[in-house]
Amino acid sequence: MIEDNDIILKQAARVLTPFILIYGIYITFHGHLTPGGGFSGGTVIASSLILNRISSGNRGSGPEIDRMMGIASIALVCYGLIKAMGTFFPDFTHRVLPRGIPGDLLSGGAILPLNIAVGFVVACVMYIFFCLIGEEA
Amino acid sequence: MSVLFEVSLLTFLIVCAIMVAFIKDMMAAIVIFASYSLVMAMLWQMLDAPDIAITEAAVGAGLTTILFIGAIKKTGRAKK
Repeated sequence: MIEDNDIILKQAARVLTPFILIYGIYITFHGHLTPGGGFSGGTVIASSLILNRISSGNRGSGPEIDRMMGIASIALVCYGLIKAMGTFFPDFTHRVLPRGIPGDLLSGGAILPLNIAVGFVVACVMYIFFCLIGEEA
Repeated sequence: MSVLFEVSLLTFLIVCAIMVAFIKDMMAAIVIFASYSLVMAMLWQMLDAPDIAITEAAVGAGLTTILFIGAIKKTGRAKK
């Protein structure tokens, strides 16, 4: 997809990728305080991963897709377990995951773990979509 | 001033939406669609919906464009 001598694109992508990744993680972790959340942060994380993949010219996709699928499945199971725990045992959930002071990062009970799980699922699934569409037929 | 800015953004949005349907080159259509998403994100922000604006900017202008480009790379660029 990208030739080896495309040095401007490669270096620009190498500089930009960590900042986009940090921004996505920020949106995901502050989902209960500021606008955003798991879905928005996950798409930003996925776009940084896709930028890294495009700029590095990496085309092998077999084991990577399997690993991403595993991460997405584990995150989805974690989401379901946390959600079920919060629904059926609310007292126990509030003791394990306290509500905290409004405005703190570690507050809001189960919302922060749920946002992180959704972020993992969305990032991995978007990356898998791109791998499946972008691979050479 | 703000009303004028909003009206110009909305006009640009409508023109983009019509152009996407009528343009022949698929790559140009994708670029116009990405600019449509960007203007739509600015309008969401002006309508006090910042989380929708973030999602629109990330999904509409970023991932949809990448997926469309991957799709026309496999199917061909010109229409008919």
